[in-house]
Amino acid sequence: MISFITCITIFIPIAIVALQFNNFSENWEHIQNTVLSNYIFSTLFLVSGTALLSLFIGVLSAWLVACCEFPGRRIFEWALIFPLTIPTYIAAYSYYDLLEMFTPLMIWVRFNISSSFMMNLNDTMVYLVAILVLTSVLFPYVYLSTRASFLMQGNKLIEAAQILGHPPKTVFWRVALPMARPAIIAGLSLVIMETLNDYGAVEYFGIPTFTVGIFRSWLGMNDIGSALKLSSYLMFFVFFVLFIEKYFRGKAKYHQINDSEKTYRLNKLNNKNSIFAIIFCTIPILLGFIIPVLRLTFWASSVDLSFFDTNFIKVILNSIGLATISSLFIVIISTFLIFTSNYFQSKVIKFSNKIIILGYSIPGAVVAIGILLVSGQINTFTGFILTGSLISLIFAYLIRFLAVAWQPIDSGMEKNCNQINQASRTLGNSTLKSFLKLNLPLLKKPIIVAALLIFIDIFKELPLTLILRPFNFDTLATLTYDLNSQAQLNESSIPALLIILVTLMPIIFLNRQLDQRS
Amino acid sequence: MLKNIISSLFVFLQLFLFISNLFGDINLYSHRHYESDKILFKEFTKKTGIKINVIKGSADQLIQRLVSEGKNSPADVLLTVDAGRLERAKSLGVLQPVNSKILEKNVPLQMRDKENYWFGLTVRARVIVYSKDRVEPKELSTYEDLADLKWKGRIAVRSSNNIYNQSLLASIIAANGSEKALRWAKGLRKNMARSPRGSDRDQARVVASGLADIAIMNTYYLGIMENSKDKADQEVVSQLSVFFPNQNDRGTHINVSGAGVTSSSRNKEESIKFIEFLTDKKSQETLAGVNYEYPLKMKKNKSKLLKRWGEFKADDLQLSILGEKNTEAVKIFDTAGWE
Repeated sequence: MISFITCITIFIPIAIVALQFNNFSENWEHIQNTVLSNYIFSTLFLVSGTALLSLFIGVLSAWLVACCEFPGRRIFEWALIFPLTIPTYIAAYSYYDLLEMFTPLMIWVRFNISSSFMMNLNDTMVYLVAILVLTSVLFPYVYLSTRASFLMQGNKLIEAAQILGHPPKTVFWRVALPMARPAIIAGLSLVIMETLNDYGAVEYFGIPTFTVGIFRSWLGMNDIGSALKLSSYLMFFVFFVLFIEKYFRGKAKYHQINDSEKTYRLNKLNNKNSIFAIIFCTIPILLGFIIPVLRLTFWASSVDLSFFDTNFIKVILNSIGLATISSLFIVIISTFLIFTSNYFQSKVIKFSNKIIILGYSIPGAVVAIGILLVSGQINTFTGFILTGSLISLIFAYLIRFLAVAWQPIDSGMEKNCNQINQASRTLGNSTLKSFLKLNLPLLKKPIIVAALLIFIDIFKELPLTLILRPFNFDTLATLTYDLNSQAQLNESSIPALLIILVTLMPIIFLNRQLDQRS
Repeated sequence: MLKNIISSLFVFLQLFLFISNLFGDINLYSHRHYESDKILFKEFTKKTGIKINVIKGSADQLIQRLVSEGKNSPADVLLTVDAGRLERAKSLGVLQPVNSKILEKNVPLQMRDKENYWFGLTVRARVIVYSKDRVEPKELSTYEDLADLKWKGRIAVRSSNNIYNQSLLASIIAANGSEKALRWAKGLRKNMARSPRGSDRDQARVVASGLADIAIMNTYYLGIMENSKDKADQEVVSQLSVFFPNQNDRGTHINVSGAGVTSSSRNKEESIKFIEFLTDKKSQETLAGVNYEYPLKMKKNKSKLLKRWGEFKADDLQLSILGEKNTEAVKIFDTAGWE
């Protein structure tokens, strides 16, 4: 019963945004006639470009690292994950002058070809650079899921194919790749969702995506109606993507905890191919982690020590405190929901649970606006101000990141607790006793994994926090954004580096966790 | 339980602001982030005994907050930039009118709301900045001229998302009408060296790099860049000159930063005193000086930089109109394809 109510509460903001799809405001017609097609085109172009490039880099690097033998393979295995510590907006800031490097070329084009050609070329370059920058920090999603698939599910089949004497190329194209298809698509959908969610990077590059349009309508034109309508468009597009993903995934699960050891042989690469492999794996790490971190460090070194005042310490504490409290809160709620669904085997609960997981697919900006609407209503009726309070912020995080906790805990529950729960019920134990004494100890590991994943996501989060944060409350993410908006690039690199540093540790830890299973 | 802790923390904050309000303290929502402001506020407190709690935020978000908080908002004074935005705040109902002879005396009619909802505090102009090497001042004349084909591929200007551009377009709508304004926006967009992105300062850098020859930007950014610790910025400014457009007709477009008393304020008298304080001579010097802006009495400015640029004829358009025409301006930008 309680879980049902919880689900409904979480579902409401999502529903409100969805309903906006049918809303019609006068300004909307104007948007439709002018900028909507721009938003659609830009968003599609950016998303497809990033997805394709991430696909190429993620899959190939996963194959090289999981199925081939070359010097340095072991290092690349975990180094390829490091770009995940860098949020998209920080990646954009660290490459802020990448486009400026093309200026001499542009000037040459303007004088030797034509102004129009230069302008078109310039615009294309912006998209290409943005795609490159986004891919460099998002490809690890594809890399991780594909690698996991090669190591766990593709296991026996790859071994069989090798024993039967097939050359590596055939093994890749006809066995490993098809087997990994669900995982690849899962990874790709994460890349797509993160690209759609991003606000800092696309705003920086001046690319008019849906998220930019949402912010512009809401802040620039004070047109919440249009902002919501754009949000609902975006949301349905994401649902569409998810639908396609589910269709391709079929029944295969993404996080399968498989204890079997890797049994197939690694392809030993000859010298020429080894060099290629090394170069190919180094480039993403270089672009996605090493160069940004080096640049940020260089800029940070020129900042006056007075920057580290009490206000900055407060921001750090805010970030850590908020992420910790929120992740604990979300983990508790999701454990509760998963437990009740499993223990009582109720179809209703299972169904409502599936719906609230959709929250992850909704871009942060959309969730924030949905919450603003709801809080505004509450404010009108009760005079109680929820907006600008930590409550609405944490609740928004709940909606958005519940799914992140879901995967590990749900798998853990399925694997470990199902039958035990049945037995416990038969024996007449109270629900609470079963929960505390049986389930919790077995779920310790998945719960920790879930908490860390959420912590990382919240720590890096920008668009949602920008909209909903209380006054005088900055996180490292919003501080980075604000400082950058005020053209204080050097100062902004300090909170940026801190974000990277703090998220690095959980990511290394989590990677170990995943590795231990293979 | 966690929810309880959090909500009690929040209630505590509200309580704090509420209590400090009871003692006549002022809660200021400001977009400014200068150290010198703190000193200024301390002086006010010394003079009047009224304490000021500053809550900082970005200009647009401040207004959104006020709207969301409604009549329960703890804010007393809103300090933000651009008359368009101040008008927007007024139309959204978050400001209230005040009666003050001092404000009417210190703030010229052009630079405040006619109904006394908001008052300008500092002035800035949106000018043309050009490359000394590639452009002769005699080639420049008006804003309208920038749509001419001779500037094709040579102009750098920021996104229409930014209110400074919206206000500039609003002034052009007021002067020339919507149709001409649309044609102007379309023409200028076609003349841009690249699609609009970055800040005003980025546009200056684009001109210095050679990709564009002229840029449109606010005057104070040049002051900031010239006095920046970053040698690159100083280098950029040394290659540029300032041109004040429309000197032979209506004058250069100007705008203000300003303040108003919020409609939810519980300390109206103290708030008025505070805004009056910000308009007196000494405060004006600090407020404007630190950001290389003009004080309200523009000719009385003491800055060396501004004196170097010399006096200019400013558009005497009533600045409230910038806000009234804001929505139309945004729509024209959309239609013109100026992102």
